[in-house]
This record gives sequence, C-alpha cells and structure tokens, in this order.
Amino acid sequence: MPGDAILVLEKVCRNFGGLMAVNFASLSVRKGELRALIGPNGAGKTTLLNLITGIHAATAGRILFKGEDITRLTPDRISHKGISRTLQITSLFSGLTVYENIWAAAQSRKRFFNPLARPEAWTDVREKTGRMLELTGLADKAGAVCSELSYGDQRILEMGIALSTDPELLLLDEPTAGLSTQESMALVKRMRAMLRGQTIVLVEHDMGVVMELSDRLTVLHYGEVLAEGTPAEIMANDEVRKVYLGK
Amino acid sequence: MLPDKWKAAAFPLAFVLVAAVLAAVPFFEDLFYQTFLTEVLVWALFAISFDLIFGYVGLLSFGQALFFGLGGYAVAIPTLKLGMGTGSGLLLSVAVPAAFAAFVGFFSVRLTGIHFVIITIIFALIGSTVGETWTSLTGGADGLVFMPPPLDLGIAQLDLMDIRTTYYLVLAIVAISYLFLRRMVRSPLGKVFVAIRENEERARLIGYDVRRYKLLAFVIAGGLSGLAGGLYTLSLKYASATFLHWSVSGHAVVYAIVGGAGTLVGPVLGAGLIMALEHYLVNLLQATDLVVGAVLVSTLLLAPMGIVGFLRGRRK
Repeated sequence: MPGDAILVLEKVCRNFGGLMAVNFASLSVRKGELRALIGPNGAGKTTLLNLITGIHAATAGRILFKGEDITRLTPDRISHKGISRTLQITSLFSGLTVYENIWAAAQSRKRFFNPLARPEAWTDVREKTGRMLELTGLADKAGAVCSELSYGDQRILEMGIALSTDPELLLLDEPTAGLSTQESMALVKRMRAMLRGQTIVLVEHDMGVVMELSDRLTVLHYGEVLAEGTPAEIMANDEVRKVYLGK
Repeated sequence: MLPDKWKAAAFPLAFVLVAAVLAAVPFFEDLFYQTFLTEVLVWALFAISFDLIFGYVGLLSFGQALFFGLGGYAVAIPTLKLGMGTGSGLLLSVAVPAAFAAFVGFFSVRLTGIHFVIITIIFALIGSTVGETWTSLTGGADGLVFMPPPLDLGIAQLDLMDIRTTYYLVLAIVAISYLFLRRMVRSPLGKVFVAIRENEERARLIGYDVRRYKLLAFVIAGGLSGLAGGLYTLSLKYASATFLHWSVSGHAVVYAIVGGAGTLVGPVLGAGLIMALEHYLVNLLQATDLVVGAVLVSTLLLAPMGIVGFLRGRRK
C-alpha cells in the first residue's frame, strides 16, 4: 500500500510572459504509487516536471520533497535529493556506448572524483552498471554506441540512466511517444519489470498505457488541476470526459 | 581482434618506444633537431592542454594563449627581475595561469557555444593589450630576453643554456604531463567531463554540477597551457606579449582538429605533423600557412574526427 506523501506541490505557478503554464497547481504523491499526469497538449504537464526538477524556477508556490523545500534548488542538487527523470525527447550521451551511459549515471552518487583513480577499481559502480544492464535487458548491446540503438531501446536506456542514480522518485515524460503500438507494448512490459516498487510520476498520452500502469491520475487543464482520482473515477468524471477524453 | 592483454600492453610499449627514440635523438645528430623537437614538444603540450577543455569537455577556448603567455612571463619575470630560481619559475608558470583561468573561467563557463568562444577571445585580447602596453614589466611586443639560472634538482644542476639539457627537461615534463592527462581523462572525473561534452542537460539531471566541472577542467587546462608557455620561454630564453594574443590559441585548435580532438595522442601527432610540414615546406615556398590551411580543410572534409579518429573508425 502506498505510504506517506513523498512529493507535495503547494499552489505552484509558472508563467512564461503572459501565459500561465502552471496555475496554482497543488498535488501530493505518496511513496510507492504510480501517478499519471494527463491532460491535453499545452496543459502544463512537462512544465510541471521541469519545475519539480529545477529546470525552470517556479514563479510562486512551494515544492516539498520528503518534507524538504526544494523549490529553489538547481537540477543537480535535486538529483542528489533523490529525484530522477526522463525527457520527452530522448536525452542520452549519444556518442558514448550503452555501458558508458549507464556508468556515468551509476557513478554520479560518488562525492569525490579522484582524477588519478582507475574506474575499474570502483567495484560498486561496476556492479551497479552490470545490474542495470541486466535490468534494462541491454546487456548484450553494452558495447554499442547508443545512437545506433532502436528508438525503443533508447527510451529504455534513458530509464536505465534515470534509475542508476538510485532515485526515490522517478519522473517519466511520455516514455511511449514516437513508438509503434508494438514497441509501446514491449516498453510497458519492460517498465513493469524495471520499475517495480518505484514511486513514479508518469506523463503519458496513451490512455491504454496510463490505465494499465497507474494507481492514481491527475488531470491538468490550462495549468490547473482539474481532477484527481483512481483510473475508474477519472473515466467516470464528466468534466474530464468533456475537456480531455472527448466523449 | 587482439586479446585484451595485448591491448593493455600496447600503450605502455608504444609510449616507452616513442620516449626512447626521442631520448636517443641527441646521440645521433647535431643541435638542429633537438631545437626543433623541443619546440614540437612544447606545442604538443599546449595542444593536449587545449584538448582537455575542447576534446573532452567540449568547450572551444581561444583563451589558452592568455595562459600560455602568462606561463612564459611567470618564468621570465621572477628570474629576471626578482632573482628567483628556474624551479620556482616553472611552478609559477603552472600556478599563475591556473589562478587566472579560475578568474576567466568563473565568468566564461556560464556561457555556452559561440558565446563561450567569444568571451575567451575577449579575455585573451585584454591580456595581450595589457601585456603590450605595460612595457616596463613585460617588454611589450619586443619582449624580455633573459638567461635562466641553472635548475637545481637537488641531485643535479641542469644548465638550461645547454640545448641538449633543455631538450631532455622538456621531454620529461611533456611526457609526465601526457601521462597525467591520459590517466585523468580515463578516470571517473574524465567520465564526468565526457558526459558534459555529450549532453550537458542529461549530465545535470543525473546530478553533476556542470559549471563546477567545466571550471575545474578550465583551470587544469589553463595550468598546463601555462606550463607549455613556461617551457617555451625557457627554451627560447625569451618571453613576449605576442604570445598572449588569442590567435596563438589557433595553433592548438589546428593541431587538435587535424590530429583528432578528444584523443590526446591526436593533438600530439597533429603538432608534429604540421610543424614538420611547415619546416620542410618553408624552403620550397614561403606560403606555408596556405598548406596548413589546405591540410586543415582536407581533414575537416575527409576525416572530421581527425587522423586518430579516422584510424579508430576504420579499425571498427
């Protein structure tokens, strides 16, 4: 069962010029739950993730993670607090191999990078990289430069990178965007295995994926929280059906 | 495919071989090649210091000339005007440019792309303008001529007025610097640098303070560019404000791109190859720059990853 709230947004706002991208959004995510964030294009879903990870600064409101105010922190500090994410447009170290991609994230929890150390001597990082390669199912492609991977594998690799920072909260921005139905299904299957027990906020357009994976849904509309509830409650909500589901 | 053991042994073998050949040069010929190779080694060091910031972190710095020139003055001024030893001068040639790099870097690493390039040019321009104006200290464009006192190593005194001794000193320092940089770019720290080069946003999202690591690389590169300038000045017995000019950085840019940026060995090859070309062609035609330009353009068109990048790509 989901436990205490791990992420709390209190009346968070962000405007770009005159546009209120996020408008007094409040929500709370419990430890262990998979929360889907849905809404029409331009509803402020990605902006919300950008505020949580410090890519953009909130113009008003507070963001609390494990009870600590992280509203003004930079992305790297927020990563060290335990929040990790994937981006809508796949973001990898594209010229490096799969192994090097995972390694870069796996070593990121270290505090000091000795310029004269041999990386082979960091057995814990090496083992973690190996574990993550198994978990992502990319072990046999470890030596491949990641720009040579299929798009579906690139999405999985990005999740592997995000997981390698040992996050307590994982934010996924449209993991199935740009994938065929078949690839989407394979990805969702892999996600189930990879992400067991993780607390996740998932932005997703594919309602099939959302219904399959999520415990609760938050619906955003013009930067505001329109509704929140279980998948069944959201499907039954008249207002949501009107603005988003188009029924 | 070679067995891993062989691959692991390939670098030490090649390194020892090259070092041995270079160390043997003074036994077989007169002073010309020692002077020439001293110069090649100095520029190779300058090129690998640039490769750290450009090839590994992805920042095109035209400010390296500032640190190169400062390194030269950090040797010349204390020995000439303060009566300090050559050893302290060499230490200063790392420390002073590194300190300036910390200052320049503090402002520069906030910027990316073309803005970073321009601000490093501006800092170098300020440096060369100050250097050319403050003639009482720097000698301006005429420079300072000095005689470096013998370098006291405790067990031996190195007479730096001797070409062969200077050659060995430069060879030893450049070799050590190369090994240091090679170790560093393969270390966990080097992996952070490469991650930043490949995708700054992703690096930040997995917890790396990108500016801090860029600044660190900039300071290390600045210190080593300074050391190259210090050695250059020691070998020429001369420091000049013209060394500070941003265009001097262009040497490192060309050597790194022709040889292969982000490989360390590439810029060394690039320096050797282009300086040899310039040297042999200068007797045939005056316009050596034209040839260097043609080499650079051909590299960019035919082997954009440079000679070493091209060879590695073929091996795969």
